[in-house]
Amino acid sequence: MPDAILTVIEQQAGKLNRMSLETLAAAQAMGRDLGREVEAVIPGSGVSELAGQVPAPKVYALQHPLLEPYTPDGYSIALKQAIEQLRPWLVLLPHTYQVRDFASKLAASLERGFVPDCIGYKVENGDLVLTRQLFQGKMNVDVAFAGQPPYFASIQAGAYRADQLATVSPAVEQIDVHLDPAQVRSRPGERFQEAKRTVDLTQAEVIVAVGRGIREQENLSLAQGLCEALHAEMAASRPICDNGWLPMERQIGSSGQTVSPKLYLALGISGAIQHLVGMKNSRVIVAINKDQNAPIFEVADYGIVGNLFDVVPPLVEEIKKAKG
Amino acid sequence: MEADVLIVGAGPAGLACALRLAQRASAQPGVLDLENVSVLEKGREVGAHLLSGAVMDPRALRELLPDFEKEAPLDSPVTSDAVYFFTHGAQVRFPVTPPFFHNSGNYIVSLNRLGKWLGRKVEETGITIFTETAGMEVLYDEGGNVRGVRTDDKGLDRDRRPKENYQPGSDLHAKVTVFAEGTRGSLAKQLWADKGLTRQGNPMTYALGVKELWELPQGRLEAGSVAHTMGWPLAAAQYGGGWIYGLRDSLVSLGLVVGLDYRHPLFDPHDAFQRWKTHPFLRRLLEGGRMIKYGAKTIPEGGYFSMPELSTGGALLVGDSGGFLNSQRLKGIHLAIKSGMLAADTVFDALAAGDCSARRLAACRASFEASWAHEELWKVRNFHQAFEHGLVRGIFHAGLQMVTGGRGLYARYSAEAGHRRYVKLTERPRGQPSRVAPDGKLTFDKVTDVYHSAAKHDENQPPHLLIHDADICNNRCIREFGNPCQYFCPAAVYEMVEKDGRQQIHLNPSNCVHCKTCDIMDPYEIITWVPPEGGGGPNYENL
Repeated sequence: MPDAILTVIEQQAGKLNRMSLETLAAAQAMGRDLGREVEAVIPGSGVSELAGQVPAPKVYALQHPLLEPYTPDGYSIALKQAIEQLRPWLVLLPHTYQVRDFASKLAASLERGFVPDCIGYKVENGDLVLTRQLFQGKMNVDVAFAGQPPYFASIQAGAYRADQLATVSPAVEQIDVHLDPAQVRSRPGERFQEAKRTVDLTQAEVIVAVGRGIREQENLSLAQGLCEALHAEMAASRPICDNGWLPMERQIGSSGQTVSPKLYLALGISGAIQHLVGMKNSRVIVAINKDQNAPIFEVADYGIVGNLFDVVPPLVEEIKKAKG
Repeated sequence: MEADVLIVGAGPAGLACALRLAQRASAQPGVLDLENVSVLEKGREVGAHLLSGAVMDPRALRELLPDFEKEAPLDSPVTSDAVYFFTHGAQVRFPVTPPFFHNSGNYIVSLNRLGKWLGRKVEETGITIFTETAGMEVLYDEGGNVRGVRTDDKGLDRDRRPKENYQPGSDLHAKVTVFAEGTRGSLAKQLWADKGLTRQGNPMTYALGVKELWELPQGRLEAGSVAHTMGWPLAAAQYGGGWIYGLRDSLVSLGLVVGLDYRHPLFDPHDAFQRWKTHPFLRRLLEGGRMIKYGAKTIPEGGYFSMPELSTGGALLVGDSGGFLNSQRLKGIHLAIKSGMLAADTVFDALAAGDCSARRLAACRASFEASWAHEELWKVRNFHQAFEHGLVRGIFHAGLQMVTGGRGLYARYSAEAGHRRYVKLTERPRGQPSRVAPDGKLTFDKVTDVYHSAAKHDENQPPHLLIHDADICNNRCIREFGNPCQYFCPAAVYEMVEKDGRQQIHLNPSNCVHCKTCDIMDPYEIITWVPPEGGGGPNYENL
């Protein structure tokens, strides 16, 4: 149907992509507010059955053997043909790695702009205004479309909830695509595996951080024991991560993370300014260091001048006792 | 990419070269399209790696931009000059300021701000400056002429494996490449070795300048006041001295320049600078003030007889990379600008003639010799060498040179490379250096100072300080010289740490402020400084 909101659904190995369903939820909300139909298109090969699982009143299966595996050429050419036939008002995409790869190419091939990575929208005087973030989320900016439809936008992961989708069983319709092997110039390599979710120290309420005073990698188990007793995350100053004893994402300071937990326990950290700027806003700072002149004591609320190998084991015992 | 002119380094020399090319191109259309001129800069932005005292002689800038006084970020005109001789705890003011320390008509500037401004002027002409991009390797054609440079790889991890954001460097080709990398340029060094550019026999010698910017209580020091100090804490056999320049907004630029030709391998220039600040004269000045910025840079002060050939096929050397520095006045900005302009004229004429051969580009030598820059450098050709045997003999020879037009007793005073002048610990060098215990108010340790340079590098990248044989550090240097890298480095990059029960070398490359002292002063010449991933390094502001 012309002038609808067309949602592009991504699939992989017989499964619908979660972010695509979130995007469909965004499309349904926009459709309600703007009084427009919401439809979906699912590109691929052998996706008729999957298309039946998409909760939209109308789902187009955009099928061709050359759409499996994914290539930016294949997807942008096929979607261009679909858009020319369906003449939607807005094409809404999930902001996935795949979409980042082909969407600008698709929009440019239709001589349209593309508003990527949106986190929300509002309706002003009947017009759609999208919100996206600038400067790593420090600032929001409102964007409105100019020129002729179709318009293109993508939705950030987690901006909408897929479990709020209205359940509908769709009418599936096939769309013909004309693709020539010569048009698909790229050959996909192995699929990119997103790095394992790294630890988010900024969310930790208690952090036990170790410094050079720990001396040997084996001694980290001592700090580990304290972490377990306190349900804390382990962090470190630069030399520890530099030695590879802990991963770099656990480094606190000017070349690592900036944290402000409720409790920050510094074990054997002298407190160079590079470290202090990453943790000085912690609510309570406890420092254990054998050098009473160590600068860490200038920011510490509680300081223990002593060898951490003497102090930590009884500390762990006492914490366990206190916690019963 | 194929360019007409590629300039490596956006300092005063490279930017002056670019601006002069733009001026020539607009005066004579049809020779050079400015879209085909590019400048590479390894810093995050233009100026991020520029640091100097600085008192600038405006002569060259006036030639380049006659109206510069209307818009250039000049801090203050010099209003007073003084030279002090420091002894332990006291100072004597020289009754007359030596003529080469006369600064009337000169300006106190922040080179970092001046560079930013020049960078904007260059970009207004349509020339592109690629920041965060370092030149890694000189490229040659089959005939051995310079063909351009290869830029840095982005996104390699410590073990040189590609990370998610990996992007290999590109080969940038150009008809002429101008090397304006500053002091001890890593490509200039390659080129110097590959093409045998040593000209007059003296090796290049260097000094290290260590600088802090302080904010003082209002009214403490007049903007425009210039003072230099000699003597304490440097030994009589050491070359160097301090500077104190009053800036606007109650700021003061402070620093100590130390000749990198000292004898004691445990001497520490940063520590000497901290000690210098404890002199009553400075203690009084800085009382109640606050250190706000830090930086360090080496200075090529070998002078005329240390300068390399200024050109080879397809390439020119300018600024500090070409040794353009007057070591008597300790000024190089005006010579850097002038050398950039002279190079631009040579390049433009060569492009107009369609001939960028070695012979054609050698014309820059003749234009240098016909310029005031040559006249100025010739007069002080023997100055720095005169001090190789200490201050007393230095003053004698320098005085003699002044009355003989720069000649002195010999036509060419010879020089020795600084790293060869260390006395081994086993041969008992004189004057065991003691160390200042930093108080965190007047004096600072290196790590705290480095913080104030805003130096930053991605930690997970290949090391950019290459030690070719760490066994020499751990087994030989430790006995013979006591690992001077720990002391000469003003940024705490080099450390000896205990590993497996013995002291071993350990690097902290992310502290590096790109001064190149290690490349110059390691006694075995086994350290090579190469640029880190573009964008890394200090982030100088107002230095």
